[in-house]
Amino acid sequence: MNLRIIGALISKDFSLFFRNRFFALMTPVGLIAYLVMYFMMPSSVNESLRLGLYAPATLPAFGQIQEEGLEIEAVGSEEALREAVTEGKYVAGVAIPADIMERLTQGQKPQINVYFASDTPGELKDAVGLVVRELAYAQIGQPLAIEVSEKILGRDMLGMQIPPRDRLRPLLVVLLIMLETLGLATLISEEVERRTIQALLVTPMTVKDLFAAKGTVGVILAFGQAALFMAIVGGIGRQPLIVLAVLMLGAVLVTGIGFLMASLAKDMMSVMAWGVVAFVILLIPSVSVLFPGTTTGWVKAIPSYYLVDTIHRAANFGSGWGDVWPNLAMLMGFGLVIVWIGIMALRRRFR
Amino acid sequence: MVSEVSITTQGQSAPTFADYILKGDDMAGDAIVVEGLAYWYGKLAAVDHISFNVAEGEILGFLGPNGAGKTTTVKMLTGLLKPKAGKATLLGTDVAKNAEKVQTEIGVCFEETNLYEQMSAIENLNLFARLFGIHPFDANALLKRVGLGGREKDRVESYSKGMKQRLMVARSMVNRPRVLFLDEPTAGLDPASAEAIRSIILEERERGATVFLTTHDMMEADKLSDRVAFMNQGKIVVLDTPHNLKQQYGRRALKARVVTHSGELADREVILDTPETPNAIRELFAQERVVTVHSEEASLEDIFIRITGRGLVG
Repeated sequence: MNLRIIGALISKDFSLFFRNRFFALMTPVGLIAYLVMYFMMPSSVNESLRLGLYAPATLPAFGQIQEEGLEIEAVGSEEALREAVTEGKYVAGVAIPADIMERLTQGQKPQINVYFASDTPGELKDAVGLVVRELAYAQIGQPLAIEVSEKILGRDMLGMQIPPRDRLRPLLVVLLIMLETLGLATLISEEVERRTIQALLVTPMTVKDLFAAKGTVGVILAFGQAALFMAIVGGIGRQPLIVLAVLMLGAVLVTGIGFLMASLAKDMMSVMAWGVVAFVILLIPSVSVLFPGTTTGWVKAIPSYYLVDTIHRAANFGSGWGDVWPNLAMLMGFGLVIVWIGIMALRRRFR
Repeated sequence: MVSEVSITTQGQSAPTFADYILKGDDMAGDAIVVEGLAYWYGKLAAVDHISFNVAEGEILGFLGPNGAGKTTTVKMLTGLLKPKAGKATLLGTDVAKNAEKVQTEIGVCFEETNLYEQMSAIENLNLFARLFGIHPFDANALLKRVGLGGREKDRVESYSKGMKQRLMVARSMVNRPRVLFLDEPTAGLDPASAEAIRSIILEERERGATVFLTTHDMMEADKLSDRVAFMNQGKIVVLDTPHNLKQQYGRRALKARVVTHSGELADREVILDTPETPNAIRELFAQERVVTVHSEEASLEDIFIRITGRGLVG
């Protein structure tokens, strides 16, 4: 490979990239938009369960269940309680009848109304139901006949939940690097369609020089944007080397995807069409970070899983090399294979 | 090669390359040697075992209709395609084995415009100078030479077709190539632009470059080429100087426009180079009122049709 030739090609590609109005505009605008999106998301997580309570007769047992994570707020009337629940002020509202103590002492079974909003998840209903039952047992002086022993598997994250904006980081990183990949794919497909590639191929430049230059441009664009974004949003501070390494491997992966898209596309519009397909597939693993439990093991077949999972673990939990090396190895493997497939597919178009 | 053939060059004081080669003068070695070169796409033989030589400093006109195999031949000679059979040697180097070395010595001007249109002319040339490792490189001087001085900083997308074509020619000359491949360099250009490019081709030949000129334009090939090769269905059907081809296959004639007895204009033709020609000319002037008269030579296109049975276009 000839470094002089590779340097000339890189300089030419950067020049052309920033002369394409769309990509010249989208590069800073994309970065700013994703930063705005990040900073608009909540920076903390409210872990407490807020309950509204209408209780004309005070139950002594309520004082005992003001546990960590449970906030109970008194409301003046049952009607006000229903309205507050409907408006989403409380996850549930508990209405205790005025004669509850009398009925309890008479051995009757008083009715306690628990109000939920129409979209309250089932597990929340169950949890509130349990709270109320525990309350009833406590009030009639019959403690639960069981003893609950809480054991946290792994690190107890109580009070340290990941804020939504930080959960969003891996998704925004994938969006950023894919955007730059569209630029790379457009540069290459235009080179083929406008036959400038033929002019290059009759100079001392070799095909290896060409791929080295295109690959470098793709990696610099993707890595540069992602690293800048992560630095601004504070994602590099906890494990800088791991985060930078995974962003670099992610940039290699999307550069290979860029080669593949360029081998299929004829112009910028078809690059965009193929890009949407790639975007959707690569974004799926980010959903598992945003909404844990929504995806199953098959997401591990998507290469970007190892990118988002590593970013999530290293940037949000401070995981070290020992935890993330299998991810990095998988990402490198996927990256190299996809780059190789992309090069083979593109070489066919150069003929 | 033909030797000891007397030829007359019109309007040129300096001897042409054809003068040398026809007189058997060993002016130069071969820049291009092609032996049994072949390429096929599936079962279709695009180039069917062709052989020819091009001497250093010669302009070879490579003619043929679309699909004749011209472009495939050029691709093999420039290292863009590996031949399926045979061998091409440029300046003593096997193209298939060492394309990179050959590519340092050649310049290629493609038929279709393939410039970086969002870059300026000067940036286009500087890029290729860097690829060839030419330093220092005076892009302005080259642009002035092809008549693009003053527009060198404008983006190529704002250029006319003729300007782009001149820039393509300039780009092919960035490395002062010893062999210049020009594929339809004047196609679709206005007469002034076409003439400017023809002048540049002749200047390059004067510098000592070998020119491999692919064209449909028979007039251009006739005007510029020392020899022409006719390619048809993957084979070279004839290769010789335009003069020899006209001698061998052509038919010269005298065309006259006369006024008939009824006062109308009519055309008359007298075939030249026959024993009856002097009498026929005498009779023409004695018996008719001649208004205009001019001689007409067989064109290369006529000869091509005669040899191959088909025209050049289509």
